[in-house]
Amino acid sequence: MVITSAPDRKGRSGALVGLAAGLALVLVPASVWAADAGTPGAPSPAPPAAVPAVVVPLPPVAEPAEPAELAAPAPPARIRLPALGVDAPVAPVGVDDRGRMDVPFDIATVGWYRFGPGPGATAGSAVLSGHVDDREQGYGAFHRLADLVPGDPVTVDLADGGTVAYRVETVTRFHKADLPVTDVFARTGQPRLTLVTCGGPFDYAAHGYTENVVVVARPDAP
Amino acid sequence: MRLSTLALGGALALAAAMTAGPATAAAQETGSVYVVHGIPDTPVDVYVDGKKAIDDFKPISEQGPVDLPAGSHTVALFPADAADGSGKPVLSATAQVPAGGNVTLVAHLDASGNPKITPFENDVSSVPAGQARLVVRHTAAAPAVDVLAGGKPVVQGLSNGDQKALEVPAGSVSAAVAAAGTTDPVIGPADVNLQEGTATFVHAIGKLDGGKLELVSFTVSDLHGSPSGVPSGAPSGAPADGGAPAWLLVSTVAGLAVIAVSASRLRSATRR
Repeated sequence: MVITSAPDRKGRSGALVGLAAGLALVLVPASVWAADAGTPGAPSPAPPAAVPAVVVPLPPVAEPAEPAELAAPAPPARIRLPALGVDAPVAPVGVDDRGRMDVPFDIATVGWYRFGPGPGATAGSAVLSGHVDDREQGYGAFHRLADLVPGDPVTVDLADGGTVAYRVETVTRFHKADLPVTDVFARTGQPRLTLVTCGGPFDYAAHGYTENVVVVARPDAP
Repeated sequence: MRLSTLALGGALALAAAMTAGPATAAAQETGSVYVVHGIPDTPVDVYVDGKKAIDDFKPISEQGPVDLPAGSHTVALFPADAADGSGKPVLSATAQVPAGGNVTLVAHLDASGNPKITPFENDVSSVPAGQARLVVRHTAAAPAVDVLAGGKPVVQGLSNGDQKALEVPAGSVSAAVAAAGTTDPVIGPADVNLQEGTATFVHAIGKLDGGKLELVSFTVSDLHGSPSGVPSGAPSGAPADGGAPAWLLVSTVAGLAVIAVSASRLRSATRR
């Protein structure tokens, strides 16, 4: 090692400081991001809102729950998918400002389309939807929904303590534009439970997955 | 009242069966009809094509729907104590019932207080998911009005014989009617619960001067639309194991640049 002159030493230590600063710029944010990714419920800006479908500037009013019809079951409270080790809370949801089914922001919670039939209704499709995963929150309740196979049990606990048991009948992937919404949200026909999440490649430009994974389950005959 | 509604349906169903042949054809060649009685203090018997259809129809009420054969029908109102449908009616009109259509016949006062019958077409098309349709009709002896929701006008300058349809988020709304350009209610305010996937038809009836304005409404259900999709991807806009966020990329690039510059300075300093 050559003995360096004072100015040289100065230049060298300056360069070392620069190296350290550069590494800090690279490594610290990366570790912050990594830590962040595992933190559920971290706040994040809402996705950009599109043109609202609402025609009239009525003042916002609290949306009351639909009054229970004569034979309507109690709302769902939890869903259990033993094959995937899922036991998640269920919350009632409506539609977003683009007329799509709302999905709870908390990806550990599953949403139930409260304007349609509920699990245990005598006809039609009760729809539950949950997020796949999220950069901020990690893996969602329905992250592995596509791994379900026909015959797998699905159990929905109702708010009144009742339980509705189903068995998976079909697992289907649709390009989002091809999701058969009139079937998924049907109010008539054989009673069924429809679980929906996203799948396929992630489209960074559209901030979403390109496909929907749809699981249809039929009531489990006792 | 219900019984007489059924009688109306029964009598006309028979007529439909006789004229229309197979049941499927009959179903396509009828229209649904509601009737609203908005003439105060005047109970009536309603005759359709000369046959009594509604007995003792009380003012400020509605009945329906009944299916009528598509086409033209004579509707006549006689005093409720009249012996039959002969002689001069209180009011009569010819109503067109379109095949597969849905109409309301409103017996009401015009703006100057004279009785008349106005037909309205009912919009019973599917309602967007999460919303409800509200149709307001001015059928009262009163000048133009505004309809207020939560104290703010949502329909302005509605005149006698006019209707206006709105699609609003389902839920409860405080609704009122005020003279056009004002916010002082002449009807209401009252809380109206608009359920998802329904259409509610509200008729302002009666008379403003020396009388009373009231509302008669009915609701048509099961008009649900389906949500347009299910956005169950990543709520923050990026997946868990997908790419890094933009700020991380910027920071990484900046850091690598600083490292490169520093390393070259280090190399040149060491070489000296």
